[in-house]
Amino acid sequence: MHIPDGFLDLPVIVVTYAVAVTWLAYSFYKVGKGVGKDKLSMVPVLAAGIFVAQMLNWPIPGGTSLHFVGGALAGVLLGPYLGSIVIFIVLLVQCLIFHDGGITALGANVLNMGIVDVLVGYATYVLALKLLGPERRARLIGAFVGGWLGITLAGIVCGLEIGYSSACPFGIAISVPVMGAWHAALGVIEGFITAFVIDYLRVRADIIPQADLLSGVVRNAKP
Amino acid sequence: MLSRKAVITIVALIIISPLFGVILADAVGYHEPLDVAAEKLGLKDVTDKLNWTPFLDYSVPGLPATIGYIISGFIGVAAVLGLGYLIKAVLGRKS
Repeated sequence: MHIPDGFLDLPVIVVTYAVAVTWLAYSFYKVGKGVGKDKLSMVPVLAAGIFVAQMLNWPIPGGTSLHFVGGALAGVLLGPYLGSIVIFIVLLVQCLIFHDGGITALGANVLNMGIVDVLVGYATYVLALKLLGPERRARLIGAFVGGWLGITLAGIVCGLEIGYSSACPFGIAISVPVMGAWHAALGVIEGFITAFVIDYLRVRADIIPQADLLSGVVRNAKP
Repeated sequence: MLSRKAVITIVALIIISPLFGVILADAVGYHEPLDVAAEKLGLKDVTDKLNWTPFLDYSVPGLPATIGYIISGFIGVAAVLGLGYLIKAVLGRKS
């Protein structure tokens, strides 16, 4: 989902950079004020883990491939502000050192994977806990749906960005269905991995209950 | 600091990463949904023309793709950890 240089035109570059910079500045401000500060120690290791996970491209029969993105996972574990900062770290390193994702598209890539995916994953997980309670089932459903929906909506937003940048008058009519459908299908795997990691980490009482406290939904989750 | 388990997991994933990122990707013909949409829209990737890094696409000049991918993994993790700890230090101090 990393948009390379050459895919976006100037208006889309400006708008996506403006959104990304504004959100990241707000996220740094909120964490600086203390929101999620108790989870700061997880930032480097989670960013490193997501960076490596994104290097594993899983081939899909039919000639396509996917890799775990991890935005929803970061949102669930660290909340919306630190979650976005974690994905920003990953995307910045990928862009500057490996040119994986263009410098002109860094704003768009942060918007897609570091904002849309993170916020949708986080909100979906919180909603699942609110609706279904603090049980393991709710955690699994929330993490799975959050992972799937986050990547699907990120794909759709990505489709809008490249569709609006296209000289073709039917750009969005092509790009949004293609990106949305593919990511809705491949996002199932993102959902499974997100749910698996959340379920694995639930035994780490120092991690998941803090995520719950951040959401303000569950304060005494059962392991 | 990183836990021992986290270090082992990250190192293990880096070492097996060429299997997925190079060998299987070559075998299946790496093609993301984004590439499909871009091709239909006639968008051109100009990464090669604008490139500034010797580590383009997780490669290391002069080394086989698999070894370069592993070394790129360690370089990337080091950079991510460095940036992560810097941000942690800055945000942890400020309040």
